[in-house]
Amino acid sequence: MTGNDAETRRDSDGDHSEESDTDRDDSAAETTGERRARDEVTEPARTPALHGEKLELGYPATAEPVVETERVDVPAGEVTALVGPNGSGKSTLLKSLAKQLEPEAGEVLLDGEAISEYGSKEFAREVGMLSQENEAPGSTTVEELVYHGRYPHRGFFDAVTQADDEAVDRAIELAGVDHLRDEPVGDLSGGQKQLAWIALTLAQETDVLLLDEPTTYLDLHHQLRVMEVVRELNEEAGVTVAVVLHDIAQAARFADNLIAMKEGAVYDWGPPRKVVTEALLEDVFDVVASVDTDAPDGPRIHPHRPVE
Amino acid sequence: MSEASGEASASARGRAAGLLEGFDGSLVPVIVASTAVVVFGGLVQVSFGTFSMTVMEAWRAVLDPDIWGHPGLLAEFFLGDAIGGAVAAQFGWTTDVELAHETIIVWTVRLPRVLVAILVGANLAISGAIFQAVTRNELASPYILGVSSGAGLAILLTLVVFSGLTAFLPILAALGGTTAFLIVYVIAWKGGTSPVRLVLAGVIVGTVFQSLQTGIFFFADDLGVVQSAIAWTTGSLTGTDWEQVRLALPWTLLATVLALAGSRQLNVLLLGERTARSLGMSVERVRFALSAVAILAAAAAIAVAGIVGFVGLIVPHMVRTLVGSDYRQLIVGCLFVGPALMVGADVGARLAMDPVQIPVGIVTGLVGGPYFLYLMRRQEQLGDL
Repeated sequence: MTGNDAETRRDSDGDHSEESDTDRDDSAAETTGERRARDEVTEPARTPALHGEKLELGYPATAEPVVETERVDVPAGEVTALVGPNGSGKSTLLKSLAKQLEPEAGEVLLDGEAISEYGSKEFAREVGMLSQENEAPGSTTVEELVYHGRYPHRGFFDAVTQADDEAVDRAIELAGVDHLRDEPVGDLSGGQKQLAWIALTLAQETDVLLLDEPTTYLDLHHQLRVMEVVRELNEEAGVTVAVVLHDIAQAARFADNLIAMKEGAVYDWGPPRKVVTEALLEDVFDVVASVDTDAPDGPRIHPHRPVE
Repeated sequence: MSEASGEASASARGRAAGLLEGFDGSLVPVIVASTAVVVFGGLVQVSFGTFSMTVMEAWRAVLDPDIWGHPGLLAEFFLGDAIGGAVAAQFGWTTDVELAHETIIVWTVRLPRVLVAILVGANLAISGAIFQAVTRNELASPYILGVSSGAGLAILLTLVVFSGLTAFLPILAALGGTTAFLIVYVIAWKGGTSPVRLVLAGVIVGTVFQSLQTGIFFFADDLGVVQSAIAWTTGSLTGTDWEQVRLALPWTLLATVLALAGSRQLNVLLLGERTARSLGMSVERVRFALSAVAILAAAAAIAVAGIVGFVGLIVPHMVRTLVGSDYRQLIVGCLFVGPALMVGADVGARLAMDPVQIPVGIVTGLVGGPYFLYLMRRQEQLGDL
C-alpha cells in the first residue's frame, strides 16, 4: 500500500515544503521535541532544495536506464536519507543530483533552476558532494586537504583570502579534526580520514550537502561522529543534506525523510515513521522484521529472518 | 560570493602571496644542492675540452667583467645577433669588445651547452611532473602520450625523406610530438577521457609510430644520416649553441610560469576525478590545458636536444621523495633537480669517453634505469598516484 500512497503524493503538485509539513503533522511524535524547534529556526523557503523530475539515469555501458523515477525531492533544510538494497540505484540517483551524472532524460532542479544551467564552479558553491571512496596523496596534511574545499571559491590566480582561512577553520572545527590538522592523511585511520574528507566538503560552504555512504566502512564510534557532524551542520547552519545510507536502522533514527529505492525506482518516501514499515522491509529489503514505531528516537527495526 | 571580494589591489596583493604560499623548509636543501651540482658540473664542462684550462681560469672566464660589464654582448648572446644587436644599438651599448681567449671559448662554445642542458632538464622535469598528475600514474613521463614516437617519426622523415627540410628539424620534431599527442587525445576521447584510456592510447600510437620510424631507418643509405638520426632519437647536446638557448628559452619560461600557476589544479586533480569534479573543476578542460603545458615543455626540450629519456620520469620521483607530493613545491623542486641531473649527465656524455662524445640520452638511461630500480625496491607501492 505504501507504494501507491507514495505515488499519489508524488503526483499531487504544490509546494514541497508545505507537503513535508503535512507529512510531519500526520505523525504525532514529529510535532514534539527538537525537530519542530529546528523548523522554526531554518525557514526552509530560503534555502534551496534539489528536485528531480522524470529522471532516467544510466551509464554508457548499460542499455536500460538504471534508475527511473517520476519525481524525487530533497526538501530544504532537512536531512534526507536514500535507502535500499545494493544495486537499487541510490548512489546513481545521488550522482545525478550532484551533477556528476547527466540524466538520459528528465531534469534536476536546484532551487527551481535546472542544474545543467549552472557553471561547474557555481554549482560547487551551492552543492557539495562526498563520494564513497576518496584518495589523496599520503603526504597531504589534513589542513591542505581541507583547503582544497575552497577550490570553487577561488579564481585561477587567486591566493587564499581571509574568508578561505575562516571557512577552513570552521570546517576543521565542525568535523572535529583540529587535533589532526598537521597530520598527513596517509597516517590517519579510516574514520579520521572520513572526517577529514567531510571537513573538505564543509569548507566548500554549500547550502546542500550530498554524501554517498559516509559511514559504511567505519567503526561504530566514527559512524556516530560522522552522523553527529552532519546533524549539527543541518541544525546550526540549516544545510540541506541528502545521504545514502547502507543501514536502514541508522537512517530511520537519523533522517527527517527517507527515500526508499527498489530496483531503480522510488518505492516510497516521507518521514521515517511513515516509510519504515514491516511491509517495506519485506518488499524492499527482503527481510521479515517487526518495527517498533513508538520508540522515542525514530522507528526501531527488529530483523527476524530473510525472506525465502 | 567570492567574486564580490575581487578588488584590484587586494587581488594583486593576494597574487604575490599566492606564489609563496605552501612553501616549507624541505625545499631549501633541494634547491641549494641542485644549484651546487649545476655550478660544479657547469664548471667542469667549461674547463675541459681540446683547449683545457684550470677550474679557476674557467670560473674567471665565466665571471669575466668584460662580458658582464657589456650588456650589448649579453644581448647578442641571448637575443641573437640581429635582435640583440638592434637592442644594443638602441641603448648605445658597445658590442665591440676585445675578449680574452679563455672567455671567448667559454662564452661562445662551452657555456651555451650548459645552458641548454639546464633548460632541457627543467623542461623535461616539469613536463614529467605534470603528466604524472594528469594520468595519476607515477610511471608517466613526458613521452607517455606518444610524444617521443611522434617526434622520432618526424625526425626520421625529415632526415631521410624530406632532407631539404633539415634546417627546420627542431621545429618539425616538436610538431611531430605535438601531433602524436593530439592523435592520442582523439583516440582516448569517448565522451571524455580517463587516465587509463589516455595511457593506453599513448601506447597504441607509440607502437605504430615506432614501427614506421624503424621502417624509415631501412631507407637511410648514408651512415651519417643514421648517426644523426640516432643522436636525435636518443637525445644529445653535442654541438648545441646560443641558437639552441634562444630557441628553447622563451618556451621554457612560458611553460614554467604556466606550470607554477597550474600547480593548485594539479593538486586537485590528484584527489581524483570525482572529487575534482565535485569541487567544480572542469576536469576535461583542465586536463587538456595542463597536458598542453607539458607538451610545450617537452617540445622545447626535444627541439634542442632530441628525445632525452628518463629525466622526465625520475626527476619528479626524486623531488617527491624529498619534498612530498604538493605540486606547488614539486614543480619548483623539478626546476632545480632537472637541470642538475641533465648538467651532470652531460658531463659524462661529453668527457667520459673523450674524445668521443656519446648522446646524453645514453647516460641518463644508464643512470636513470638503476635509480628507478632502486625506487621500485624501496617503495612498496609504485605506480598509482
